[in-house]
Amino acid sequence: MTTPTHDLPTPAGGPESGGSGISGGPSRDMDEPPKGASFVSYLLRKLGGALTSMILVIVLGFFAFRMLPGDPVLKIAKERPMSPAQIAELRSQYGLDKPVIVQFWDYLVGIFTGDFGESYVYRKPVAALIGEYLGPTLLLTAAAAVIAIGLGLWLGQLSAWRRNSLFDKIASSTSLVFWSVPTFWLGLILLMIFGGTLQWLPTGGMITPGLDPWSFAGIVDIIKHLILPVITMVAVVYAQFLMVMRASLIEEMSEDYLTTARAKGLTEDEVRKKHAVPNALLPTVTVVFMHIGGLIAGAVTVEAVFSWPGLGKLTFEAISGPDLPLLQGTFVVFSAIIIVMNLAADIVYRFLDPRVRRA
Amino acid sequence: MFAQYKLRKRLGTCLAGLAAMALVGSMAAAPAQAETTEAADDSTVLRIATDGFIDSFNPFTSFYLMPTNTFKYMYENLVGNSAEDTQVSEGLATEWDTDSEGKVWTYKIRPDMKWSDGEPLTAKDVSWTYNQMMEKEELSVANGALVENFDKVETPDDQTVVITLKDPQANNPGQEIPVVPEHIWSKVDKPGEFKNDEKTVGSGPFQLESYEANKSVTLKANPNFWRGEPKLEEIQYRYYTNSDAQVQAIRSGEVDFITGLTPEQFKAIEGADNVETNVGNGRRFQGISINSGLADADNKEFGTGNEALKDKQVRQAIRAGIDIDTLRDQVLQDYGQPATSFVPSVYETWALPKDDPAITGFNVEKAKKLLDDAGWKEGSDGIREKDGEKLQLRFLTDSDATVEQNTAKFLKPWMKDIGISLKNEASDVDTVSERTTKGDYDMYFSGWSLGPDPDYQLFINTCDSRPDADGNGGTSQDGYCNKDFDKLYRQQHVELDEGKRADLVHQALAQHYEDAASITLWYPNQLEAFRSDRFTGFTKQPTDGGIIANQVGYWGYSAVEPASAEDASGDGGGLGAGGWIGIAVAAIVVIGGGGFLISRRKKSDDRE
Repeated sequence: MTTPTHDLPTPAGGPESGGSGISGGPSRDMDEPPKGASFVSYLLRKLGGALTSMILVIVLGFFAFRMLPGDPVLKIAKERPMSPAQIAELRSQYGLDKPVIVQFWDYLVGIFTGDFGESYVYRKPVAALIGEYLGPTLLLTAAAAVIAIGLGLWLGQLSAWRRNSLFDKIASSTSLVFWSVPTFWLGLILLMIFGGTLQWLPTGGMITPGLDPWSFAGIVDIIKHLILPVITMVAVVYAQFLMVMRASLIEEMSEDYLTTARAKGLTEDEVRKKHAVPNALLPTVTVVFMHIGGLIAGAVTVEAVFSWPGLGKLTFEAISGPDLPLLQGTFVVFSAIIIVMNLAADIVYRFLDPRVRRA
Repeated sequence: MFAQYKLRKRLGTCLAGLAAMALVGSMAAAPAQAETTEAADDSTVLRIATDGFIDSFNPFTSFYLMPTNTFKYMYENLVGNSAEDTQVSEGLATEWDTDSEGKVWTYKIRPDMKWSDGEPLTAKDVSWTYNQMMEKEELSVANGALVENFDKVETPDDQTVVITLKDPQANNPGQEIPVVPEHIWSKVDKPGEFKNDEKTVGSGPFQLESYEANKSVTLKANPNFWRGEPKLEEIQYRYYTNSDAQVQAIRSGEVDFITGLTPEQFKAIEGADNVETNVGNGRRFQGISINSGLADADNKEFGTGNEALKDKQVRQAIRAGIDIDTLRDQVLQDYGQPATSFVPSVYETWALPKDDPAITGFNVEKAKKLLDDAGWKEGSDGIREKDGEKLQLRFLTDSDATVEQNTAKFLKPWMKDIGISLKNEASDVDTVSERTTKGDYDMYFSGWSLGPDPDYQLFINTCDSRPDADGNGGTSQDGYCNKDFDKLYRQQHVELDEGKRADLVHQALAQHYEDAASITLWYPNQLEAFRSDRFTGFTKQPTDGGIIANQVGYWGYSAVEPASAEDASGDGGGLGAGGWIGIAVAAIVVIGGGGFLISRRKKSDDRE
């Protein structure tokens, strides 16, 4: 028996080295806990780490956006006949006339009571806005995640098993090409071909205005609107699952137990399906969890291209405001999702791999 | 073993889910196609693409372009601006008059008008609206400046409104303020926070029916509109986050009207089937603002502007060194009108005429002479010097704006030709805005949209518009200050004779031109497109070569009607979306399956 290796070998420039946008990645060095460490202390350590990250995010969320150039009030006042009195009134409505430290205190108190303040643009509580826009984002990312993970893992194990075959070369290089393509560009190209030119699929939005989303026609309409954004997201991310699966299966393929399995007379298919793949899946699951957080962050671009009314679009608009309370809110929520997903990855991994548990 | 079994089962589920989704997707596509065709039969719904911010549809508090444009369709003003030439024309009032100095304005309201809910619309609604804005701070947020000069508003009878101003003004005070129904708004608990975003009651051609944030805005025709019920039943704004998607949406027929296209996008759809385009002469100018020595209201200087630019001759030399016609042709692909000063030529009465003696053209020799006269002598490297200082200027631009970046590219060698070293400082739009507010620039690319009356734009070029000592208040176009200009501003502000006023405005613009506090480059066209197979009857403002969206008024869509039946024929047969998707899915299955089979066959080869 060899000890499990989790520093996955990846081809140079492979997805794992890049990762997507905001994803910080959990501390992989802690995947191998010291012998004798109990699950409880492991969990506490992970929770402590997550909590520290969260506090940093909250502090950063306030100050980073305030360092951005641009005055939200002046931006609104731009090219409008506004008197100084009107500008002052707006400033006080937004709470921008208070000293920064007071604003920070209000923000902190707000966060711990679940109140992210009121959006400048929508004039609505940020928490309520995020609640409204979370649904479409979850729908989009869940659909994309299921397909990307399924496709990636399936192609990954086939590629590994037939390593260096024509199939492997085509599957791996195709996935890497898509992975390197800018999301925005790919989305627009798909939009142009399937939306504008062929007119098979809608060019934006989630549902045709006026349709009831819960009716049959409404659901069909939503699925139609989902196809292009999902394809875009899947195309750009499935490579990372493919590569992880491929690498970890290749690792398994030199193991002695496969020789044993073959010696027992199992077919190649059975060896792969029953012995190699399940073992290779272990490290893969961790990586999958880590990337789910990144997927949600990656939705920002896709939503902007396909006018998908989700959190990403909300963030995109908050940036152009700059709608400070909304920016802070979405930043904290996105970061929280990633932190929670990374924590889940750590815990699930520990839970799934009997070797680690026993250690 | 148990763990292995569970994991395998999970993978199996995963793949099954994937297959199921693909299946549902391909099945769904077929009825979905039918759905679209059905929606397209709705021939009296004009669908417009938008990406505009909406804070609310409260006309007292909303700032953003999208809602303020919508107010023009929802609420009639006391007086409007004509489609023909944007001149003041009838609105709620049929006629109006002023006393000899322009201090007391009297309006006669059209009798027997009704709000969209059938209630009578009288002079009382007008005075109630104006008084609310004058009395309540929370209702003056968006349009307070328009009633700042109002002393009192009275209604001697149901058909008469009398506005008494604090100081006389020549510009008709009844423009641009949406008049709301008193019987609705007086019952609203906190009118400053009222969203007003469904089933609104108003006097304009369309009323807001419903609004779904980031999805759609639906307006319904108002049967009681005094000019008659519009032929369209509904206007539906649909949200598209980026303009490239909007272009695709009009190609595919998902929307009927788009505006604000770039020249590249515009050229791309010019030949598209069933799409007609409009090159609209806009009410916007773009130009280069020059830091001619910024100072606050107490004449205390601020900012980092180059001392050389305080000299009028240097600023004039910069203008003489720019070949604006070539620039417009190359950078704007000629989608803009030649400009004189900052009042766009669509406002014919006020714009500085092309033949005004103040106007000078592109002339490199003249530019060189001006710099020579100003004491800037050519150095060994071709860059001019004075007292050991080289003439080096910074040009602040928005790095995302293609037009600005291309302008900078042309300007650099042109300035070099006359002995000025110009550095393009490209930055994000927020940084540009922050630096211009602080005066941290020599020149920057600027632009403004103007209303039909030039008074406000002239005002923000007066000394009084400069910021106070704390840098607050005051929105100045270029930080310009010239007492002679201010005097002309004050004269035109109260001149009731339009001919004489226009003359004064021209004099002020000529003065500003000569001082070269900014160089107006052009009045960019608003590039628009609509589905000619579905609709006809879009009204431009001005009617001769003007714009359809973003008008001052409700002309653009009010007269739109469905195109004749034979024009609106459906697409002729062919394989629908469902069929094509089915084929695509089949192809994927075949290719995937083929790959799988190849891999299996090889496996058995290996075994032997």
